Amino acid sequence: MLGLHEIRDKVRALRAEIDRALDEARDGSAVQAVRDRYLGRKSGAVTALLKSLSGLPEEARRDAGRELNALKQEVEERLETARRRIGERERESRLGRERVDLTLPGRRPAAGRLHPLTATRHDLEDIFVAMGYEVYDSPEVEDDYHCFEALNMPPDHPARDMQDTFYLEGGSGALLRSHTSPGQIRYMLANPHPPQVRIICPGKCYRRDEPDLTHSPMFQQVEALVVGPGITLADLKGTVQAFLHALFGPQYPVRFRSSFFPYTEPSVEVDLACIACGGGGCRVCKGTGWLEIMGSGMVNPAVFEAVNHRLGRVVYDPEAVTGFAFGLGIERVAILRHGVEDIRLFYENDLRFLEQFRR
Amino acid sequence: MKVPLSWLREFVDVPVEPRKLADDLTAAGLAVDAVETHGGDAVLDIDVTTNRVDCMNVYGVAREVSVLYDRPLRPLELTMQEAGPPAAEALTVSVEAPDLCPRFCARVLDVRLAPSPAWIRDRLEMVGVRPIANVVDLTNYVMMEMGHPSHAFDLAKVPEARLVIRWARAGERLTTLDGVHRTLTARTGVVAGPQAALGVAGVMGGASSEVSEDTRVVALEAAYWEPLAIRRAAKDLGMRTEASHRFERGADPEGPVAATARIAHLLAKIGAGRARPGLIDRYVAPRPVRTALLRPRRIEHVLGGPVPGESARRILTGLGFGLGPGERDQVTVTIPTWRGDVSREVDLVEEVARHHGLDKLPFTIPPGYHVGGLEPSQALERAIRVYLEGAGLTEVINYSFVSDAQAGRLVPPRARLLNPLSDELDALRSSLVVPGLLRALQTNLRQGRRDVRLFEVGRVFRADRGAVEEVPTLAILLAGPSRPVHWSEKPPPSDVFHVKGLLEGLTERLGLGDLDTAGSAEPPAFLHPGQCAAVVWSGKRIGWLGAVHPDVAAAWELRDETLVAELHLPTVLASQPPAPRVRPLPRFPAVTRDLSVLCDASVAAERLVAWVREAGGESLRAVAIVDRYEGAPVPAGKVSVTLTLRYQDPARTLTGDEVQASVGRVVEELRRRGAEIRGE
Repeated sequence: MLGLHEIRDKVRALRAEIDRALDEARDGSAVQAVRDRYLGRKSGAVTALLKSLSGLPEEARRDAGRELNALKQEVEERLETARRRIGERERESRLGRERVDLTLPGRRPAAGRLHPLTATRHDLEDIFVAMGYEVYDSPEVEDDYHCFEALNMPPDHPARDMQDTFYLEGGSGALLRSHTSPGQIRYMLANPHPPQVRIICPGKCYRRDEPDLTHSPMFQQVEALVVGPGITLADLKGTVQAFLHALFGPQYPVRFRSSFFPYTEPSVEVDLACIACGGGGCRVCKGTGWLEIMGSGMVNPAVFEAVNHRLGRVVYDPEAVTGFAFGLGIERVAILRHGVEDIRLFYENDLRFLEQFRR
Repeated sequence: MKVPLSWLREFVDVPVEPRKLADDLTAAGLAVDAVETHGGDAVLDIDVTTNRVDCMNVYGVAREVSVLYDRPLRPLELTMQEAGPPAAEALTVSVEAPDLCPRFCARVLDVRLAPSPAWIRDRLEMVGVRPIANVVDLTNYVMMEMGHPSHAFDLAKVPEARLVIRWARAGERLTTLDGVHRTLTARTGVVAGPQAALGVAGVMGGASSEVSEDTRVVALEAAYWEPLAIRRAAKDLGMRTEASHRFERGADPEGPVAATARIAHLLAKIGAGRARPGLIDRYVAPRPVRTALLRPRRIEHVLGGPVPGESARRILTGLGFGLGPGERDQVTVTIPTWRGDVSREVDLVEEVARHHGLDKLPFTIPPGYHVGGLEPSQALERAIRVYLEGAGLTEVINYSFVSDAQAGRLVPPRARLLNPLSDELDALRSSLVVPGLLRALQTNLRQGRRDVRLFEVGRVFRADRGAVEEVPTLAILLAGPSRPVHWSEKPPPSDVFHVKGLLEGLTERLGLGDLDTAGSAEPPAFLHPGQCAAVVWSGKRIGWLGAVHPDVAAAWELRDETLVAELHLPTVLASQPPAPRVRPLPRFPAVTRDLSVLCDASVAAERLVAWVREAGGESLRAVAIVDRYEGAPVPAGKVSVTLTLRYQDPARTLTGDEVQASVGRVVEELRRRGAEIRGE
């Protein structure tokens, strides 16, 4: 049986032993082994010592018990410290192993694109929708009446020289619209709230032009038509300027000059200060400082009369209502905005071209 | 139209620099494309609009300039000293076709053929006309100067010195000045001798009566031709001359008198000859004086800004319009003979507007009267494009024209063009995929591209017994890796389930309800018969999807398996998906059970799922195929499928027994159908 002194010596020795063992422990299981060896319920050295106290006199037993329990608590604390230390080391080593090279490229989702002409058309539509316009879809296969005759271009009219039109086989006279203007006629004939009109009509058009840098046998236009009591040429100017400024920016002056189209009177050609050079003159504007951007004008009373005639009653009385119309090429806008030098690129569908369009 | 500044100055003072003049003319409707310099002289290149035939000459432009700067317009010098016997004794003229030639004027000139003096040759060259000899040069000079074309006959070569103006006899033959032998139609006018035609009226003279070095006496013609007659003749003959260009747009009926006088005046001035006394003037169908009413208030009504009355009066008068006395609010305006393009009040408003200055009008925006916006169908079409863009597809736009031969029998018949640009573009497409998207894929494969994911939204054209129907259509094409290539993996190639998934995702995302596929009795010939399906939406077949047939892929040199789909959109776009209604979130937990099944590989997955659903009962909310395996160790002709069954009740927690009972029914049903249950 050990005496109190011996027990104290033993405690001292155990403390030193445990400290050493914990210092040497490199992982969680080594720490657990230390705990088992000294504090294990069956074979732990400290536990065994505690059990051996039962033979001591009460006072000595109490003192020794106090010392041993203090040791036990101390060991538990040291075990916890060791565990924490080892846990931290392990975490650090894991984080080190999990390092990646973030200079490698990321995994991008496949990126699609709208066609630049679609994106441009949406932009144009959005500007007009914001100004209270409806968007009207009109057929691409047309007839002579809607495409020419109702637009004050009867057969043999010299103005038809300006249009070189594709016709369909079969003798029906069906043709591919050479401009979006027949949309004006179709809308006025089917107008849900006559005589008020405020529409744009975007879409594909066709002309017999051999493809080259500036021509494509298929192209896209946007037509606008506004009709109502008291619509004036000043309204045309204000609307066109507001639209062009929304599209290109308010820093570009807009110029209006007299022109000729059979379906408008007066007819007005609209120029925008060259967005490439700002108006000083460059290759894009051929040195003039101006870019032809659209044709426009006040609706020719002959167009109202043609529509009235077809309706069989006077719905658009040229004395009571006036209107303006304009049309512009969507390719023209896209070419100017994006610096495209060859109109054919829009229809070749080469991804190297299409994937350059971002927003 | 080229206009030398020095020539212009003969008729009007130009108080500004050429550049400024060009800008001002452009603003007023005579677009000056360029200002060139020519031996110290500025030459304006004016793009005259087709309606302004009166400005296709120097004097017409001078009139515009005189109004622009409020300077007097000097009259054309027309004086002449006639000599010799009366013209009428040397030449007779009869107009047999007033519907062709309302007016025919002629003079007889004694001439000495020689080269023109340098100043005439220079001016002709500046306006782009090649000088020949004085008499011919003068007809061209005067046409360029005051606009009216004329023609010189060698009188000695006019049989019986008699000109007859008539319609050609069908099949009548004539050699024109350009040396071409021509056969005429009955809707072509001619200037003839007593028998044979001598020239095509208003288009080109004939070789037989051409002026030559030996010519001593000239019959000079200047006529007013019916515009439509000249247009038709020029079209029939495939000819477009300076003369026909002017006549078919409507010349000045008074022009013949002035033109012949001006030529006679200049002939004497350059010492090349004299006119015999008298103008032969057959005005067989006189043109009426034309007028239009102008209500001055209407000017502001159309333009939206005030124009002072004095200003409008000055402009119209300066342009040659005659202003009648009229009432205060209504004036009768006489339209000058050279302004065939003007007939109505609004035309007069335009004349005032373009000279008053469009830049002086205010900028206003008309008041709104209703809300604008896209139609639901238009918004839906946009949403479709945006979904596919977001799913990684790039939009393409193909020509609506295709090669009829190339599309061949692969796709529905096409409407053919009467006047195509080429065999490559001779019909309207009846499909977006063939040849459009395949061609686009080919284009990109040739650039070395492998991962290609495209879509197009556009109209196809269905030819139906003469009528052509336009059908808004969507098409998709996938080829090559299904994802962008990345260092971490080799992405799997796109397969037919990618294209199906895109369409399912599209309808789901847009709230369009479910999309079904159905075996197609007659799959399109260009699809793999084992990898294609009809696409059914709302009980209607709206298109198809599938893998491109290996034979077609080989013919088109496609490298990877190519997946395509094409859907007709009208019914889809016409549907108006309602705003989604939110369901309450489930309050009681769901229970899932997995079931491994071995069944014949010929059993369609859709049927398997349907059996399970049917047997499972009401609390079986969802059945998902989570694994599918064919090949060893699964016996040949069999397939192993793992299903996840999801049970839930909105009102309570399901008991284990309830779920087990349902699974039992499912197992029993599957066994009855010949499937083997491998695990539960």
